[in-house]
Amino acid sequence: MRIGVDSNVCEAHGQCSVVDMDLFPLDDDGYSAVGPDATVPEGEEDVARIGVESCPVRALSVLEQE
Amino acid sequence: MTGAIADDLLTAQASADPYAVFDALRREDPVHWSGPHRAWLVTRYADVSAAFADKALSNDRVRPVLAKQREERERNENQHGARRAEAGGDDGRPASASERVLALMSGWMVVSDPPVHTRLRKLAAGAFKGQRIAVMDARITALVDELLDGFLRGSGEQDLISEVAYPLPATVIATMLGAPPSDRDLFREWSDELALVAFGTGGAARAERHERALRGLNEMDAYFRGLVAQRRAEPGEDMLSAMMSTDESDTQTSRDGLSDDELVAMCALLLFAGHETTTNSIANATLALLRDPAALAALREDPSLLNTAVEELLRYDGPIKVINRWVVAETELAGRTILPGERVHLVLASADRDPDKFADPDTLDLTRSPNPHVAFGKGIHACIGAQLARMETRIAVGRIVERLPGLALAREPVWKDALASRSMETLVVTH
Ligand code: HEM
Ligand code: SF4
Repeated sequence: MRIGVDSNVCEAHGQCSVVDMDLFPLDDDGYSAVGPDATVPEGEEDVARIGVESCPVRALSVLEQE
Repeated sequence: MTGAIADDLLTAQASADPYAVFDALRREDPVHWSGPHRAWLVTRYADVSAAFADKALSNDRVRPVLAKQREERERNENQHGARRAEAGGDDGRPASASERVLALMSGWMVVSDPPVHTRLRKLAAGAFKGQRIAVMDARITALVDELLDGFLRGSGEQDLISEVAYPLPATVIATMLGAPPSDRDLFREWSDELALVAFGTGGAARAERHERALRGLNEMDAYFRGLVAQRRAEPGEDMLSAMMSTDESDTQTSRDGLSDDELVAMCALLLFAGHETTTNSIANATLALLRDPAALAALREDPSLLNTAVEELLRYDGPIKVINRWVVAETELAGRTILPGERVHLVLASADRDPDKFADPDTLDLTRSPNPHVAFGKGIHACIGAQLARMETRIAVGRIVERLPGLALAREPVWKDALASRSMETLVVTH
């Protein structure tokens, strides 16, 4: 599974990081540092999905389900 | 400056309907120096957002108070050297109950800036990971149902806050920390005492209560210390055990785990930050639905609305009105110069009604999405318990509307005169 953030949309709400700080790291200013294309470690897909859905401005997306 | 603008958020009228006051401030003077509060009131969404990201605004506000108290004590002790040993203040231990409680609070991440904050938050984050919260769903549902069973056995006018919204979050935190069920009532008392000391307003009448609260908190300190020792010896599946484990792959911030003192402070912070807020989230949400029968009917009809409904209820009348920041360097907000030493009040409840950000902000729209409200704050301090708080609110509100089909407001609620929180004394209903 791969996820990514659209940094033009991210508003630093930090809600993704609340779900899992390692899957959804923030930069020093509180913006998502997940990058445009990150691979989710195996077994953490469900948590990743919760994190993606927790973004109130839909800056995060699932790029590939596998 | 607009002299006539109403800027005292602590009048009975402003407590009952703060949104009218916020409206005027947002329109007329969005970054306003308030004489009554001796602080800047920031009321627009864009400015509150900018403030959350501004490094000139600090959360570190307890350490300076503690340092001053210590300095004063030391000066006194030096003057009265002979009494020093008697007071027992010579092994580096704080002498007074108040200083001990202050020392505990000064270690909270919510009153820390980076890099201290970064390390604490990272070490606490493991305890809040997705899976750990997800497994609470069934437990919380059972707890809510148990409380509602009791509520349904009663009849006539009953207070939904003292019967349901208040006990739930304290019990959830006690459970998550791995405390035995029989100790849960203690958590409720300590939570009240923490609030009293943290927001404690002066006044002679309160002084005695304050003293009693401090004694209670010293008991809390001893209790959490015992819990920490127990978990160190015998780790379990609880949050406290999760916060003890360090991530060895991490070489930067979290290699040195939390000390016993830090774990004790963390337990107190979780209780302080997670209790009253969640109580008010459930109570305010229920009130908003009772005042909007169409929305309530829609939710009863279609429970799948619950997820967006919870976000909207948090936006519409969330538990926190104001979050504080201390100014540590000159900065600018909406063209106003803010100086070091000044205080800034970020008015979350106003930002969440800003028409520049939300269409029809005064309308409760349970389907609103996206809904980038700031009820949980924003940026590096954004509520670490947000997923848990959402779950508690979702389950409690969902079960209340489902199991109490005849729910009706019995009396106009009275709002507490509190600056930080949006909080009712009671929510008296019939069912
Ligand atoms: C609906 C209920 C809740 C609301 C509205 C809420 C709101 C907030 C807000 C606005 C902040 C940011 C404070 C700041 O920026 O200075 C915050 C921080 C925090 N909250 Fe919550 N909270 C809620 C429930 C909880 C729960 C259930 C817990 C834990 C059990 C919790 C634990 C914390 C902690 C530890 C912080 C400090 C985070 C940091 O400084 O990095 N909260 N909360
Ligand atoms: S929740 Fe969304 S807006 Fe907030 S930091 Fe994460 S990606 Fe950015």
